[in-house]
Amino acid sequence: MFANIIPFLILFPLAIAAILAFVSEDKVRSALVKVSAAIIAAGSLWLLLGGFGHVAGYFSADSEIISKIILVLEFLVSGYLLYISFKSRKPIAIFLVLAQLAAVVYLEFLSGQAVVAENNLFFDKFSVIMALIIGIIGGLISIFSLGYMKEFHQHHPEVVDRSKLYFVTVFVFLSAMFGIIFSNNLLWMYFFWEITTLCSFLLIGYTRTKEAIANAFLALKINLFGGLCFIIGIIILVKTSQIVEVDKLLSLSKSLVLLPVVLISLAGMTKSAQMPFSNWLLGAMVAPTPVSALLHSSTMVKAGVYVILRFAAVFQDTRAGLMVALIGGLTFLIASLIAISQNNAKRVLAYSTVANLGLVVLCAGIGTYEAVWAGILLIIFHAISKALLFLCVGVVEQKIGSRDIEDMSGLIVSMPKVAAMMLIGMAGMFLAPFGMLISKWAVLKALVDANPVLAALVVFGSSATLFFWVKWMGKLIMVINPRIGLEEGMEKKQFFVLAVLSGMTVGMCLLWPLVSGALIEPYVITIYGKTMTMDRGNLIIMFIMLGLVALFPLSFINYGKRVKVVDPYLGGANASSHTTFKDSFGNSRILEMKNYYMPGYFGEKRMLFLAAALSAACIVGMLSFALIR
Amino acid sequence: MPIKKSPWLLHYDASSCNGCDIEVLACLTPLYDVERFGIINTGNPKHADILLITGSINEQNRPVVRNLYHQMPDPKVVVAVGICATSGGIFADCYNVIGGVDKLLPVDVYVFGCAARPESIIDGVVKALDCLQEKQDKRRQVIAKIKDVQVEQATIADAQEILEVQKLSYRSEAEIYNDYSLAPLIQTYQELMDDFKKQIFLKITVEGQIIGSVRGYESEGTCYISRLFTHPSFHNFGLGSKLINAIEQTFPKSKKFEVFTWHQSKRNIYFYQTNGYKTTKTVKVSDQISNVYLEKPGQDAAHYL
Amino acid sequence: MKTFLIVLIYLVFAPLVGGLLYGLDRIITARMQSRVGPPVWQSFFDFSKLLQKENLVVRRSQNLYIFFYLVFIIFTGTLFFTGGDILLVIFAFTLAGIFFVLGGYKTSSPYAFVGAERELIQIMSYEPMIIFTAIGIYMITRSFYIRDIVAYSKPLIYVLPGIFLGFVCILPLKFRKSPFDLSTSHHGHQEIVKGITTEFSGPALAMLELAHWYETVFLLGFVYLFFSHHILTAIAVALLVYFFVILVDNTFARVKWQVLIKSLWLVAIIFGLGNIIVLSLLKK
Repeated sequence: MFANIIPFLILFPLAIAAILAFVSEDKVRSALVKVSAAIIAAGSLWLLLGGFGHVAGYFSADSEIISKIILVLEFLVSGYLLYISFKSRKPIAIFLVLAQLAAVVYLEFLSGQAVVAENNLFFDKFSVIMALIIGIIGGLISIFSLGYMKEFHQHHPEVVDRSKLYFVTVFVFLSAMFGIIFSNNLLWMYFFWEITTLCSFLLIGYTRTKEAIANAFLALKINLFGGLCFIIGIIILVKTSQIVEVDKLLSLSKSLVLLPVVLISLAGMTKSAQMPFSNWLLGAMVAPTPVSALLHSSTMVKAGVYVILRFAAVFQDTRAGLMVALIGGLTFLIASLIAISQNNAKRVLAYSTVANLGLVVLCAGIGTYEAVWAGILLIIFHAISKALLFLCVGVVEQKIGSRDIEDMSGLIVSMPKVAAMMLIGMAGMFLAPFGMLISKWAVLKALVDANPVLAALVVFGSSATLFFWVKWMGKLIMVINPRIGLEEGMEKKQFFVLAVLSGMTVGMCLLWPLVSGALIEPYVITIYGKTMTMDRGNLIIMFIMLGLVALFPLSFINYGKRVKVVDPYLGGANASSHTTFKDSFGNSRILEMKNYYMPGYFGEKRMLFLAAALSAACIVGMLSFALIR
Repeated sequence: MPIKKSPWLLHYDASSCNGCDIEVLACLTPLYDVERFGIINTGNPKHADILLITGSINEQNRPVVRNLYHQMPDPKVVVAVGICATSGGIFADCYNVIGGVDKLLPVDVYVFGCAARPESIIDGVVKALDCLQEKQDKRRQVIAKIKDVQVEQATIADAQEILEVQKLSYRSEAEIYNDYSLAPLIQTYQELMDDFKKQIFLKITVEGQIIGSVRGYESEGTCYISRLFTHPSFHNFGLGSKLINAIEQTFPKSKKFEVFTWHQSKRNIYFYQTNGYKTTKTVKVSDQISNVYLEKPGQDAAHYL
Repeated sequence: MKTFLIVLIYLVFAPLVGGLLYGLDRIITARMQSRVGPPVWQSFFDFSKLLQKENLVVRRSQNLYIFFYLVFIIFTGTLFFTGGDILLVIFAFTLAGIFFVLGGYKTSSPYAFVGAERELIQIMSYEPMIIFTAIGIYMITRSFYIRDIVAYSKPLIYVLPGIFLGFVCILPLKFRKSPFDLSTSHHGHQEIVKGITTEFSGPALAMLELAHWYETVFLLGFVYLFFSHHILTAIAVALLVYFFVILVDNTFARVKWQVLIKSLWLVAIIFGLGNIIVLSLLKK
């Protein structure tokens, strides 16, 4: 039966993980990862194609046995976390694990109510979109990791090679992600949620350095706190409405479910590193770059906003929803401003991720049909572009030995192909007519109808994003004394993955109306009865723009013939080489140009303090409004 | 529309006492108002048509003035303002003063005075505008004809002109290595006459002006090509390729063709490579310069394989 | 057919109008400084001279960016005058600006680099206000389409005075006039030589001039939107605003970028957002 694809997608990566735990040979592992990634991607596509006729499907699955297995696994995971927190002397983590355990025990054994779900698994168009992201992008990143990890360990002989654990964890993670998006039973979703927390913890601490371990525990603590909110939300839901399924929740009246939804959304906010929880994502950047790409930009953090977006309809026209939107908007604005002051490439990408997730949360908080349409569009485009950018930065970092943007000067000559793909990724993040721009257009449209004042947050934030992206792009294309040939020796696998992601970025700009029509709009209609779309006139204009932009790389085929190359203007002090000048002592000096970072204005400390204060106030507001109703 | 309607200036103080500079700036004031002529004082050589120099040339500002001049796009004129710029003025005998601007650059208009009065300066600039227009018209004529130029054999009567254009063209090489004693720049007329006896000279002429030349001779089956140059104002018109093809066809029976250039002359190396030459060896001739030799097999070489 | 005609008229006449406005600008500035000034056709003389000059570059591909800047400015104007979606117009406009900035970076020259960074700061400063303009207009006309905005029954200026004021405040920035002309050090100021345009010469500069003219006409079109119910008034106001910008240019000195961001963002919040808040309160 077609529906078997769903348990397949959840269990297959798990099985592969189990096999990988016993494989030590590089070649075997490599082959296995490549084949599995392809199968998973194919599985997601199968879901897309096969699920065309269905709007949604619900499956009961054998709940009794599976629920028991899940319970046992939860105890095991909690046990492991307790052990490791105890060993590393992290009292807060210990407390949080125990609190979660207590909540689970309370719910399962003592609450006196049989928690039986009618349908445990389900899929609808939104899940299909998420499945495609996890399957295709997750698969690509796994393949990329093969080459990356090998070189990583060559460059870092001091790090113990635990690649086996790495790949096992990645596949367990993929399995858990599928679990989250296919779960209708909130308890199952909670379980898979915790698994992703565990995977993130293991992967952040991969290098076992002091910094890595500290950051892993930070991530663990914050996500455990989120998990605690999650389970408390479920408890309240069970107590007040005796249900535990998502579909049933969405059909109940708002005032009844607002509090549990708010608590679960709080969990979503911790998972997607919204303010004031953003520190863990920044700290997670110590992990190897494919981890940052997979967990901390494309998939795991998307699970956080996915959950909030699912409940968007509940937030519509509520003050709690307004608070959620404010948190998202503030996160977007402040994270974008902070990114201006960062010169570490991965930190810029991390803050940009936090910011874009904030935009999705903003959409979810508004909760109108336009906002949800915009939010899903944002998720798709961001997942692709960000994965591309992180992977490119990973390659660049390994070749030039630095994560500093200032060291990436002239990359278009040093590493032309990678630099070109980076430029595509960056364009995809903010430039018309690429994806994110379309999403931003949609967000603005949604906001002007619902709450124009909130648009201020988006407007200022998007100017800030423009600044730091173009700054970086400029650094890549300007050329002063570049080293050449840095791209040689780049693994074919890595290049393949980057090329596919670049192709997807560009392809999505053409194909997104199809995706919208086939997946996003039907989903929005099922919830709201109407949907938003971009009308034909504007679509044509976007395509014309895309065509014009496409002419730009084409114009490089035959250029620069009728021009005369001279030195730049340096007040006449040009010395013998193109990029040197004579200083006042008569010595030759090389030109140096560094970007503006404005740490005095947009420095982390100042901004994060502001963000923490405002968002904490909003969270308090959110919870209060949910309680009052 | 005529180019002289919109002259943009670059004003440079070479070693002036600022007297002439103040008068130049006075021209911008309401009393004289040169903007009536569309004159704008841009500080940027790439935007300028007229280089207005005050003060004389000394060792320190020589490379600077040269850099500024070369960063100005054609057509351009140089106006020497004040007696110091004309001849060195009262500082002409100083140990560090080389002399007026014409010791370095081709000057089009001299404005006398110490300090030159604004009226004279404006007169000078207006005259320079006519020079500018002339240069532009000439340049256009040449560019229009340039596609149809042919490479011809040069005679001894062309020697003088070839030497002049040679020195002009190799200036840019001298600038790269900061060595103005490179062989092409110090070759004397007599040496050139001797070369004429031993080598075949080819030239490209347009409107009666020689704008490119090359020479070569054959020895033991190898054709040695040297001194291939084109007038700096006429690069990127394919003249170099025409010259090298012509000289190769002048020695059809050579087994190989050899050229050499200097190690940092990347454009030259690239040029030869696109015309089928491959680098064979690099020989150091001094601390600053190495010769790079490139070779190309002759047409007949195919027969010997 | 009508669209095609509008596009044609725009393509042909906008640069003529723009060039004339620039000539007028120089004459008025000269008269304000007790000078005579150049003839009103001076911009066209400049343009034709630039086309005749040699094309000097620092990096071979730098002029491509300028070409695409021009293409997208023309695209923006075409979209605007054929009544398209105002948000898309703004985004296309930003895209054009980014090509310009990237061209500045490409030249790999210190002055151009500082100019490019400043140009980016300028874009960051004016973007909030211009999007607020679009939002404010939407709140009244309920449509983002310019053809609907122009056809709206009531004059927009009465309900959007704050937004209009804010928009006029960012105009000096877009026209590259003091106090906000940081990036190109236009006309005589040479603090960073010619800023972002330092390393462009001849035909590239000509393209920049052309793009500038198209941009001027486009921005004055924006001003027109606020008074669209009466054509002559609108044109008169547009010219008045242009004159006002020239007056401000001759009266104020250039500000530092810190002051630039702070003041324009403050303007955006107080005038732009303020207007929007008032409107949303009134609606309730």
